Amino acid sequence: MVGGLSEIERREFMSNNEVLLGSGLSRVRHNKRYIFWFYVLNVLLAWLGAGAFGNVIHQILDHSLHAESLVRGFDMGTLVELFARPEFGPTMASTAPAMHFAFLFLFLTVLFVPGVLQGYAATYRLPRDDFFRACGRNLWRFIRLMIVAGIVMGAVAGALFGLEAALVKAAGESTNEMLPFEMKVVTLIIIFLVMTALRIWFDLAQADVVLSDQPAVRRSIGRGFRHMWRNLGRLLGSYVVTAMVAGIILLLGLCVWMKFVPPASVFGAVVVSQFTLLLLLIPRFWQRGIAVSYYLQSMVEPIAVHPFTPAPVITPIAPPAPVIPNSPAEPQGI
Amino acid sequence: MKIRWMILFFPLLSVVAVSLLVKEHTAHAAPPQGAAAAVTAASAASAVSNNSALTIPDTTLAINSTQPMSQRVVHYEIDAKYDAGKHTVDATEVLTYHNLTGVALDHFPFHLYQNAFQPNATWVREAKIAGSRDTGYDKWEAKEYGSEEIKSIEVAGQGDLTSQLHYIQPDDGNKDDKTVIDLPLRTPIAPGAYVQFKIAFHDQMPETQARSGWKRDFMLGGQWFPKVGVFWHGAWNCHQYHAMTEFFADFGVYDVKLTVPQFEVVGASGVKVAEVNNPDNSKTLTFHGDDIHDFAWTVSPRFKVKEDGVYQGQMGPVQMRILMQPAHWSQADRHEKILRESLEHFESWYGPYPYKTITLVDPEPDSAAGGMEYPTFITGDSSWFMPAGLHLPELVVEHEFGHQYWYGMVATNEFEDAWMDEGINSYSEVKVLDSILGKRTSMLDVAGVTLGEREGQRLSYTSVADVDPIAQKAYDYYSFNSYGGITYGKTASVLLTLEGIIGEDTMNKAMHTYFMKYRFTHPTKEDFLKTIEEVSGKDLRWYFNQAIYGSQVMDYRVSRVESFPVNWYEEKKDSKKDDKNSVYRSFVWVHRREDFVMPVEVEVKFDNGETLREHWDGASRWTKFEYEKKAKVVSAEIDPDHKIQIDRNDFNNSNTAEANPKPARKLETYFMFLSQWLGQALAWWAV
Repeated sequence: MVGGLSEIERREFMSNNEVLLGSGLSRVRHNKRYIFWFYVLNVLLAWLGAGAFGNVIHQILDHSLHAESLVRGFDMGTLVELFARPEFGPTMASTAPAMHFAFLFLFLTVLFVPGVLQGYAATYRLPRDDFFRACGRNLWRFIRLMIVAGIVMGAVAGALFGLEAALVKAAGESTNEMLPFEMKVVTLIIIFLVMTALRIWFDLAQADVVLSDQPAVRRSIGRGFRHMWRNLGRLLGSYVVTAMVAGIILLLGLCVWMKFVPPASVFGAVVVSQFTLLLLLIPRFWQRGIAVSYYLQSMVEPIAVHPFTPAPVITPIAPPAPVIPNSPAEPQGI
Repeated sequence: MKIRWMILFFPLLSVVAVSLLVKEHTAHAAPPQGAAAAVTAASAASAVSNNSALTIPDTTLAINSTQPMSQRVVHYEIDAKYDAGKHTVDATEVLTYHNLTGVALDHFPFHLYQNAFQPNATWVREAKIAGSRDTGYDKWEAKEYGSEEIKSIEVAGQGDLTSQLHYIQPDDGNKDDKTVIDLPLRTPIAPGAYVQFKIAFHDQMPETQARSGWKRDFMLGGQWFPKVGVFWHGAWNCHQYHAMTEFFADFGVYDVKLTVPQFEVVGASGVKVAEVNNPDNSKTLTFHGDDIHDFAWTVSPRFKVKEDGVYQGQMGPVQMRILMQPAHWSQADRHEKILRESLEHFESWYGPYPYKTITLVDPEPDSAAGGMEYPTFITGDSSWFMPAGLHLPELVVEHEFGHQYWYGMVATNEFEDAWMDEGINSYSEVKVLDSILGKRTSMLDVAGVTLGEREGQRLSYTSVADVDPIAQKAYDYYSFNSYGGITYGKTASVLLTLEGIIGEDTMNKAMHTYFMKYRFTHPTKEDFLKTIEEVSGKDLRWYFNQAIYGSQVMDYRVSRVESFPVNWYEEKKDSKKDDKNSVYRSFVWVHRREDFVMPVEVEVKFDNGETLREHWDGASRWTKFEYEKKAKVVSAEIDPDHKIQIDRNDFNNSNTAEANPKPARKLETYFMFLSQWLGQALAWWAV
């Protein structure tokens, strides 16, 4: 069974009253391999994307003593001069491949997330075949979901950022210098919350598409919206906490990188930066775990229970025994 | 008898003839710039005005000197009222001018700078095409409009000449430009004589442009009054206001009364001598300046003032008055510190600061008023968020203070020789900030990321290296970027390189000599260059012709380094043993890629630790150094002491035999991190 769950599984999850955060994290913990493989994809694609950039800078820097100022510390002047070199070429030429591979990572995420959701919903280790079957079966549905999400989120983000710019500009007319900054912070927080709510909506729709094996994406979008709207506080709280965890991981990683990695240690920089990026994947998978938990707790269609009427037991009636004269009679009920 | 009549007749005839000639000459409006538009002293002696009652005061109230320090040409007495609601100034100006030109002057041009901020003015036309520092002019907004109108002008002894005023456009003939107005006199002013103008004028100040105007309730009154041109090298020098030019004026005395609302906090050039509250809720402040050539002021009701700082200068105490934005108040000490350190360095290196005050204004945020210099009055540039390692306030305050020397006292022509104030000042800025904040960290020192001011100046130059020479009029530059990169960046880099050629001590001595010799005058570029040659005792024309007058570009490179065994054809048996005993033939090729010719040193290092220094005159396009040693060449580097700041590409100044991939790998790591994070962020929000 690909899209659905067995009755026992449903009941087990329905009765699970764990809070969403704990439940979501538990799913992530039991399926660590997904994070690992996504990280491998992330590294591999970034490495391929950085190839053009690496080729150019190796040509300019490898035989130059001037380049050493980049090793001993981080001299912005040397960096700016490097980018200004004609040999470096247009910045787009060396950075565009990285962008392309970032989008490829996005596409692969679209491809593999259905398998992840299926795996998170399963109470057992999802076989590889089932994982890829879920991926293949839901790819087109996910692309449609992404397009709709892109339109909705793009429109909302455009409107909100436009409003934000107008408000900050208006605050800029004030004689209170801090006001534009404060206005920006407040509006960005609001934008973040609204965009996170939209993300929840489409995460629930994704879970519904995969776990209900719903071919009609619009129905999942509708269901996702209704549930997001009705349980906004609970879901938003969980998502905000996970997003804050991501922020903390990023800040801590950068702090460790700056404080403890010597400027000349390329190895140290690689270790700290990659470990930070690996950890940074966790919060988003955690959010997906939360979406699956919520789905299983609140979105699974109630199972129609028909009253059970046992078929009457028909006892074959033995043919009346032949009356045998002088035989003892059977006792009669009272 | 006949002879007696003839003796009487000929002098009379000559007087009449000269009078007619002078009248005819005076009637010629707006003689072209550069032409000697004055009447010679001899020919006009009998027909010129000489108002002996007038004089320029020899006050020393605002300087730490008992004698005037400049040859005072002008005395401005201005009584101005600022309307904070309309952003207008209504004022009367009494200008006394002392004709020290040696010729009679029959007309006077005046700058009306605020007229630059009109859609068809030369300033805006140029800024729209070539760019400007603050404003893009994608569309014209009414608040950008500025104007300066002379309501009336009287000349002592000649009456009301308002009707004689007419705009002139000596630089580009743009009839819509009203930034220079010319006044022909009825009677020329004799050499050595005084003339007094009584002017009533009205300003409409724009929202801040080019470091002048209002923003919210802040106002910077810069270039706000009719200012007479400078009679320089035999002609009036009174250029139109261009998008890339600044100013030029004569030294003198300023007495300025400013009437502003009582709630305003005021800062201005010179020293405050009086403050009176008026019954109409306004107040009148009187300022006096000696030996200065401009006067600026500012008001804002929200300035917080720090004025307890006093610097004990070589000529006497200097009061440091700092007007801060309330949200920047915590940076007041930081501003005072860099101001004090700048004073110390300039006094110690170049000469004394003679004024009794220096006013530092932290202007309104998001205004185009930051980073400006006026005599004894400068504006800084900061923000509420300014980490200690981000040295923007230090950089701006130091730079603008430096202008007290290179512009304020050594008053070069900023229209024609912008590099002599901005460029020489940028050189000083590099030296002072290097000394205070460190060579590699003087601009930025945050979280291990660093940037030095000298590198910043060099990069601003190398981005526009082949576009313009230094020695050209500021309004003739290809673009605003070119103006900035050449005037500031190239001049600083050229002078730092010159320091490498003649030695730092000699350069310091030359700068000191130049300042002391030319302070309170209007030197030319040759005055500066000749001073350096005289002090250094060297003929430096080969350098100046390329670096100052030319647009040659420098790019030297070590194109190849190579070593191979002399007996390369023999089969090796024991490679380790061979390496030690083998004799190698090594080559180093050095190539001059561009057209700037300069002798250079080349340092060659070998793997046995030996280091050699070679000298190459750079005359040919390339040269080759050849060695035969029991060692292989490890690296070769042009200019190993890093004295040359004008080489366009520092990466190819050296070449190593073995590749060192570490710098590139480090950048790759950073790049990978960013692109991975980008991928994750995309996936976070999109899926």
